[in-house]
Amino acid sequence: MSDTAATLTQDRQKLEMAALSAPAVIFTVAMIAFPVVYTIWLGFQTFSSTGKQSFAGLANYTKLISDVEFWHGLWITIALFVLSLVLQLVFGVWLALVLFHAKRLPGIVRSLFISPFMMPPVVAGMMWLVILDPSLGAANYILQSLGLPPSDWMASPTWVIPTVALIDSWQWTPYVTLIVLGGLQSLPPSVYEAAQIDGASAFKTFQRITLPLLLPTIVTAAILRSVDLLRFFDIIYITTQGGPGNASNTLNIYGFRVGFEFFNIGYASALMLTLTAIVFGAVLAFNRLRGAVAW
Amino acid sequence: MKVRMLATRVALPVLAIAAVSAQARAADFDWMKFKGKTVTFLANNNPVSQALLTYKADFEKLTGMTLKVDGYQEQQMRQRLVTVMNANSDEVDVFMTLPSREGEQFAAAGWYGDLTAMAKNEVAKDYDPAGLSQALLKAATFGGKLTSMPMNIEGPIFYYRTDIFKKCGLEAPKTIKDVEAAAEKIKTCDSTVTPFVSRGLKPAIAYTFSNMLHNIGGTYIASGKSSLCSAKGKEALDTYSRLLRDFGPPGVVNYSFQQISALYRGGRAAMAFESSNELRTVMEGGARLKDTGLLPFPAGEAGQVPTTIGWGMAVSSHSKQPDAAWYFVQWATSPEVQKKMALQGIAPPRPSVAKDPEYRKWIDEEPVRKEWQAALDVLATKGSSEVGYPIVANPQSREFIGQAVQDLILKQKTVDQACADADKALDALIALN
Repeated sequence: MSDTAATLTQDRQKLEMAALSAPAVIFTVAMIAFPVVYTIWLGFQTFSSTGKQSFAGLANYTKLISDVEFWHGLWITIALFVLSLVLQLVFGVWLALVLFHAKRLPGIVRSLFISPFMMPPVVAGMMWLVILDPSLGAANYILQSLGLPPSDWMASPTWVIPTVALIDSWQWTPYVTLIVLGGLQSLPPSVYEAAQIDGASAFKTFQRITLPLLLPTIVTAAILRSVDLLRFFDIIYITTQGGPGNASNTLNIYGFRVGFEFFNIGYASALMLTLTAIVFGAVLAFNRLRGAVAW
Repeated sequence: MKVRMLATRVALPVLAIAAVSAQARAADFDWMKFKGKTVTFLANNNPVSQALLTYKADFEKLTGMTLKVDGYQEQQMRQRLVTVMNANSDEVDVFMTLPSREGEQFAAAGWYGDLTAMAKNEVAKDYDPAGLSQALLKAATFGGKLTSMPMNIEGPIFYYRTDIFKKCGLEAPKTIKDVEAAAEKIKTCDSTVTPFVSRGLKPAIAYTFSNMLHNIGGTYIASGKSSLCSAKGKEALDTYSRLLRDFGPPGVVNYSFQQISALYRGGRAAMAFESSNELRTVMEGGARLKDTGLLPFPAGEAGQVPTTIGWGMAVSSHSKQPDAAWYFVQWATSPEVQKKMALQGIAPPRPSVAKDPEYRKWIDEEPVRKEWQAALDVLATKGSSEVGYPIVANPQSREFIGQAVQDLILKQKTVDQACADADKALDALIALN
């Protein structure tokens, strides 16, 4: 076969491949692009409470600046994000180390440890709502049996965010554990052998070898959890609906209510796009951090 | 005089002809007219729709139509409806609606089909549209258009434990002050139970609070302005929040009907102010069947002005087959179906069904059912459907009412601060109306 003929065959193959994959590519791009573009467009519209729509320019975004509820929601979102992420990373790494070293632990016990994140958040929310009910729940019964004072849990404006962070951490710490466990299994044994020969203590080995080598994995887990935590919705929706008062009214809950309960779809879109920008910002920051700690 | 005579001479024959033609149309009415069609029903998965859908097969057999049910919990149902209606989609033909909550808003948005003509002309012989609660039909009429047909009648009523009242030497309360005095006494007489419970969850508060406000003599709007800071408004805010704060369960700010029913059914509350619809749930297991008394909420300075609402069935304005959809609405709100639903504990919005011998027999089986029906009779005759502000943004107004009450339960504000903040936000909403 001549060179020209071979080139023609290659070109034809490329064209055929492009033609075959085009529908899937177009469909995927459209499915991603359409909702985003539509939401951007909605963010420039205003809807009266009767559903009448008109062009609003940047009004929805300028309204954000003076909206006390928006700033409150942003603060709640960030507080919940930081508290939950710290809890999940600390306990996730700790649990991964326990499981990694407990080689003889039966498979069923390992599965039990990591099972909460397989539970639908709605079920988890309902379950904890019952357990933490200040009047009927088991949590206060246990506290009082131990001679401790009962708590109002999610009915207290002070304790609602720590309580919701605890519920989310109960559910998602095992997910971090799984990721870190994978990272631990891929660490080079030679480094540990060298540390053992040098007589390094267990703590020093963890501090100087395990933790630095695990950092890229931990940052990856942090990125994955950050996206979910900044969009925190389901457990709050099931348990407190943003209350008591506005004490757990995250940006996502606020946006949902503005859009679907008060029918202001334009302002809700602006809120959600702002939240999306915050999520992107956090992911980019963590990505840069990941690059800095890579080995 | 001449004008009156002329009007009488012209009007009477016209009315007579209209009546005769309506009768003729009723005689021509054919349930099988839309055989083969599929009607999609967006339902709130509550006891009302659950009772109705027990008879889904009967509708399909009667009409030859297929009923496709799209069922969700209340908030999710509204979320789906908003999406569908904003997209001008015809995927929903019939949906459940609460006229007292979203009626103004949905009517202004043009989401309701106009049922006025169909309810007059397209009816089976035994449908009897005039037999439906006139108050509920009026509450579902916006701008002269009938927007939904009532499925049930309901409102918050007062549940109390007769055994605890007897033990503590208390009589059934006649006034709101009696309720508070009873709560005070029960607190010392039986410390194992919560003296009083009602709704403390922010969006749910308006349902029960409105009854208290109206009994005390308050109104939501006076001279075009929000009036929570009026003397009566403040009294209602103070009394409602004080009852829940001083005599309610810990965590009451997260309480809606599920928690209240569970607490009362479990024997851990002496008084509960909750929906009449919860009777079935409260009586589950039979533990409360013999020790519960039921009343409309005790009187305030303005007497008893109970909150009376009902779920309605509306035809979507985007439906491509409103006539077929109307057949489903008509069947679901017919005397026959409403009688069957009543026997499952769904209070009928038809006085004739409430008088039906079979229904009366069911009621007479248990004293608590008799008291329930007596309370419903008061709701039907004296009730107000005003739950939250009578404005287009009614759902949002409920948020601010709830916020003011929660601020007081949690002692985060004084009554003056809470009502002033609420009035400011509510005046802004009223101005948008």
